[in-house]
Amino acid sequence: MTRPARTSRRLAAGAALSALFVAFLAACGGSSNSSNPAASTSTGVNGGTATIDMASAPDSLDPQYGYTVEAGEADWITYTPLLTYAHASGVAGTQVIPGLATALPVVSNGGKTYTLTLRSGLKFSDGTPVTASDFTYAVERMLKLNWGGDSFFTQTIVGASAYLAGTATSISGITTNDSTGKITIRLTAPYGAFDNLLAFPSVAPVPAGTPFTNEPTNPPSGVGAYIIKDVIPNQSFELVRNPLFASFHIPGIPTGHLSTIKVNIITNTTTEAEQVLDNQVDNFDAGDTVPAALLSQIKSQAADRFSLQPVETTYYFFLNQSKAPFNNKLAREAVNIAVNREAFQRLAGGTINPGCYLLAAGLVGHPTKPCPWGTLDSADLSKAKSLIQQAHLVGAPVTVYGEQVSPVEQWVEYYAGVLKDIGFDVTIKFVDGSTYFPTVGSQTADPQTGYSAWAEDFPNPVDFYLLVNANSIQPVGNRNRSYVNDPHIQSELSKLDVVPTSQLQSVASQWSALDYYVASQADELVFGYGTAPEFFSDRIDYSTAVFSPIWFNDWSTWELSK
Amino acid sequence: MAINQSQPAERLPRAGGVGPLLLDDIVVDDVVPGIGHYRLAARRLRRDRTALLFGLLFILIVVACLLAPVYSHDIARIGPNVNNVTGTIKVDGHTVDVVSPDGIPVGPTWHARYFFGADTNGRDVAVRLLYGGRTSLAIGFMAAAITMIFGVAAGLAAGFYRGALDAVLARLLDIIWAYPAVLLGVAIGTSLALGGLKIGPLTIEGNSIFIPAFLIGFVYIPYVAKPIRGQVLALREKEFVDAARGLGCGSVRIMVREILPNLSSTIVVFVPLIVAGAILLEASLSFLGAGVQPPNASWGTMIQSGLPLLTTSPQLVLVPGGMLVLAVLGVNVFGEGVRDALDPKSQIRLGR
Amino acid sequence: MTRFIIQRTAQMVVVLFCISIFTFLIFQVIPNGNPALRLAGQAATPQTIAAIERQWGFDKPIYVQYLDTMQKILTGSVISYSQQINVLDQIKRGLPATISLAGGAAVIWLLFGMALGTLSALRAGRFSDRVLAVLSLVGISMPSFVVATVALYLLAYKVHVFPLSGYVSLAQDPWQWFLHLVLPWFSLSIIYVGFYSRVLRSNMLDTLAEDYVRTATAKGLSRRRVIVGHVLRASLIPLMSLWGLDFAGVIGGGAILVEVVFNLNGVGQYAAESIQTLDVPPILVIVMYGAFLVVVLSAMIDVLYVVLDPRVRLTA
Repeated sequence: MTRPARTSRRLAAGAALSALFVAFLAACGGSSNSSNPAASTSTGVNGGTATIDMASAPDSLDPQYGYTVEAGEADWITYTPLLTYAHASGVAGTQVIPGLATALPVVSNGGKTYTLTLRSGLKFSDGTPVTASDFTYAVERMLKLNWGGDSFFTQTIVGASAYLAGTATSISGITTNDSTGKITIRLTAPYGAFDNLLAFPSVAPVPAGTPFTNEPTNPPSGVGAYIIKDVIPNQSFELVRNPLFASFHIPGIPTGHLSTIKVNIITNTTTEAEQVLDNQVDNFDAGDTVPAALLSQIKSQAADRFSLQPVETTYYFFLNQSKAPFNNKLAREAVNIAVNREAFQRLAGGTINPGCYLLAAGLVGHPTKPCPWGTLDSADLSKAKSLIQQAHLVGAPVTVYGEQVSPVEQWVEYYAGVLKDIGFDVTIKFVDGSTYFPTVGSQTADPQTGYSAWAEDFPNPVDFYLLVNANSIQPVGNRNRSYVNDPHIQSELSKLDVVPTSQLQSVASQWSALDYYVASQADELVFGYGTAPEFFSDRIDYSTAVFSPIWFNDWSTWELSK
Repeated sequence: MAINQSQPAERLPRAGGVGPLLLDDIVVDDVVPGIGHYRLAARRLRRDRTALLFGLLFILIVVACLLAPVYSHDIARIGPNVNNVTGTIKVDGHTVDVVSPDGIPVGPTWHARYFFGADTNGRDVAVRLLYGGRTSLAIGFMAAAITMIFGVAAGLAAGFYRGALDAVLARLLDIIWAYPAVLLGVAIGTSLALGGLKIGPLTIEGNSIFIPAFLIGFVYIPYVAKPIRGQVLALREKEFVDAARGLGCGSVRIMVREILPNLSSTIVVFVPLIVAGAILLEASLSFLGAGVQPPNASWGTMIQSGLPLLTTSPQLVLVPGGMLVLAVLGVNVFGEGVRDALDPKSQIRLGR
Repeated sequence: MTRFIIQRTAQMVVVLFCISIFTFLIFQVIPNGNPALRLAGQAATPQTIAAIERQWGFDKPIYVQYLDTMQKILTGSVISYSQQINVLDQIKRGLPATISLAGGAAVIWLLFGMALGTLSALRAGRFSDRVLAVLSLVGISMPSFVVATVALYLLAYKVHVFPLSGYVSLAQDPWQWFLHLVLPWFSLSIIYVGFYSRVLRSNMLDTLAEDYVRTATAKGLSRRRVIVGHVLRASLIPLMSLWGLDFAGVIGGGAILVEVVFNLNGVGQYAAESIQTLDVPPILVIVMYGAFLVVVLSAMIDVLYVVLDPRVRLTA
């Protein structure tokens, strides 16, 4: 996914509204308290209520529409897909495990056919039995609701794009048998990360007959530890335990301890942080950013219940190679040398970690070699200047695009200052949060350079390499904003794309060689990786709470302190 | 006191959040333009020490802002948009980070450089304060000019021609007037900031300060046009207008030569009000992200970007906020003095 | 009178119609302002965008889109783009907070404005009058969001006198309702207090100079009775009409900034959020609702004027 985090569109809005809302975009993933046991199932204190403050409302709690990190947090424990992620912190949490399916899919036909079987005896929270065709129904509904990541499915499943376009009334690539629970999915081409796609709550079964419209205030029934209820848009919603779920005995998926989880939407992150610090509220939502002004106070007063978890989000500036000046490699090198990546960290109040590789730290394939452009806390302005002179680009006009939200605004202003220092004639163009990515992703704007961020959709480098994959260049919604079209990258990707997620480790060295190559080509100006706050009141047992690298806080593992 | 009774609604100032200002009523009957009237007013104003003092304060602020390049170049020796995120400075013999690793900028040093401290990007707050003042004041003056030109023209035309033109103009003014001011500002500001504005051959970039200036000027037009219209309605029945007409003067000539001079004191009274209102409205729009676009500084954007750090670096809000209040207060108090001097009986509505 | 009311109503409809068209058009000039792009997410394929355009009717001519939207607004079924929830429900949800904020603040600014205005009128020309004059002008010179933020910082973060922010409904807990609104009320009121006290002062000074007041004084009535019984009462009529309009303005979205700072989740905050996300349907509804309040109240005040003061001619 392209947006820093399935971070809500509203988040950006809130932040621009008041600078008080230093909401900024954080993302998914990350390693965590490795001491956490995986998925502690129904031991410990049961019952009780916890409250969460969230600075931005989920875009929708409807699983087939919700795409932001806030939606994912609630949906993944309410709508269990056929496959899901292990309820564990750190790398263990990136493992795909069977959810409503009895086992991981059987892959045949050279990687183009996936076969799964639905567990028997499953019921939706409203009591309706779950059938295999409910999966198909969910996929169709997801497509018709235009879920934010629908292109993953239209590009992989046979007949999905025809269904979306309305030229087919069903998806020809999915066949189900309700009596045996067998589900067969045919792909257009082998795709190694398909297991990950089946783990999105957006394809979790919902009862057939659920309307084909986004239901933000009345989300459908699901199969999960919790049930979402009492949704008041932009104000609050609640999760209550699903009494049926424990009887399904799905291994590795917690059935929940708290009886109620109450979520309040409160747009002011300063207030949000104060309330958690004072133990008035139990959790600071992981999708929000702790205000810089309170960070040191929280670090000292709440050291035992606060940490910044690294997450797999890459922050970078794209350098459009299809036009001057960044079609010149010297210009791309110069900007990579001229920025001090630690400056970006400071501008974000310490909430990002500096880095120069496209693959975020913690991902398989993240290179361990030092950056090709010098250390992360230094800059070489004079060398950069001489490169620009050498390329005869002094005075070349450059327009920098930026999203009008903190700290992106600060980053862009710093970056523009650096470009000016090394000899470019710089103009800044700020675009409001909700239109920023549609604007820079469109050919009509065709920006030279600008801010961008990528939060993982799933823990596979393939997801990040959409950014430099020539095949993802498109006139609107373009993710390859640098217009990278490099035969070496393409040939490597054609080999790596088909490697199943479960065998990623075997190609780690190829990925890291490729990622080092991309960095040394200066295809992008990567400056850092995101973090997300894990911040509780002292009412919650910090030691058993899981921080999922994919979905952040795992509410189903929370229990009250004894 | 004479009450202009033609249009009750006109006498009603209104809020809508930002900064309406309405002329309540001005007694036009005795206002005869000429040296005598203004000399009398000047004499009255000279006696009003409070007004003069605050007027002086405002002038000082204007001069300081005009001298921004001098301060930046010769005293602070740092430009308004120069970032210094990873640098250090010496304060009283200690070396400190301009911006701490947690992102907290250094506070006031009370030295030439970083006198009022730094902002999140390590830029000199004092330098930006002066440059930002240029932007805010420029917007204030430009907006006032736009409001006065269009407001007076609309008021003149509506009051003089009456009839259909008056009805159309009155509806147009009603539309602007009934539109919630902040919403109007933010809606237009947001859309123009993205695309800029193209009027024929004229292209205004999205980040130009002409956009907020134009916007703010536009919002205030009804507040000037309505009372002007009322005055013109009364003036056009006067003998000297009849006389001019009798001499064969054309309508435009009568409006410009005969009626406009009689409106001068109203206009003079309105200018400071609009300037003050415009500076405040700019701050509100910037707070909502629709005002001056970064990296241009204005007092509004400085306050807006400083708010998240209010607890650790209150100077980021208090310095531009204080300057803004002082400047607006200066204009307001001086404006009230001018009003009293020109026409002790008039009342004018000041906006928020 | 009937003719006057009909005329005002007709004008009102014209104004609201123009405002709705204007608002709708503002958001069409934005480059990449096509709502389908935002609905589709950043990585959307042209195919998805086309599907959304078809579903939402963004591919239709602009006037058809306008008419569709207006029809939905008038039938109460209009859905927002960004969250796809019923806009009118959302506004109804925000109204209690906005009305509480505006109502309380309006009472505060009227009372304080009256007290300070009367005081300075009585002391006209003296030192205390000058101090009050400068204080009122200081109040008028402060942007409400700066007052709000500084108050929040000092009285809620530093000294925990008031709750941090948010809105508690009156029915749920009257005391918390009150506590949560004290700071917003005062932040919103300050500017009006400054203004009302100035207006009242000058109205009272004018009235004091009127013949009937001099008569009353000559009759031997005490100064206090003259002031309260005659002067204040006469001076209040224009102030009350002002008050009505300002109240309408604040309920109609004028309190945006204060609502945002204190996270009151009222109509103003909803408007601000919708503008940030370029969410046209709620913006359209809120703007029209705000304009409606202002237009209706100003018409009502005109009528009231006629009732109170027969000298006023009725021209529209």
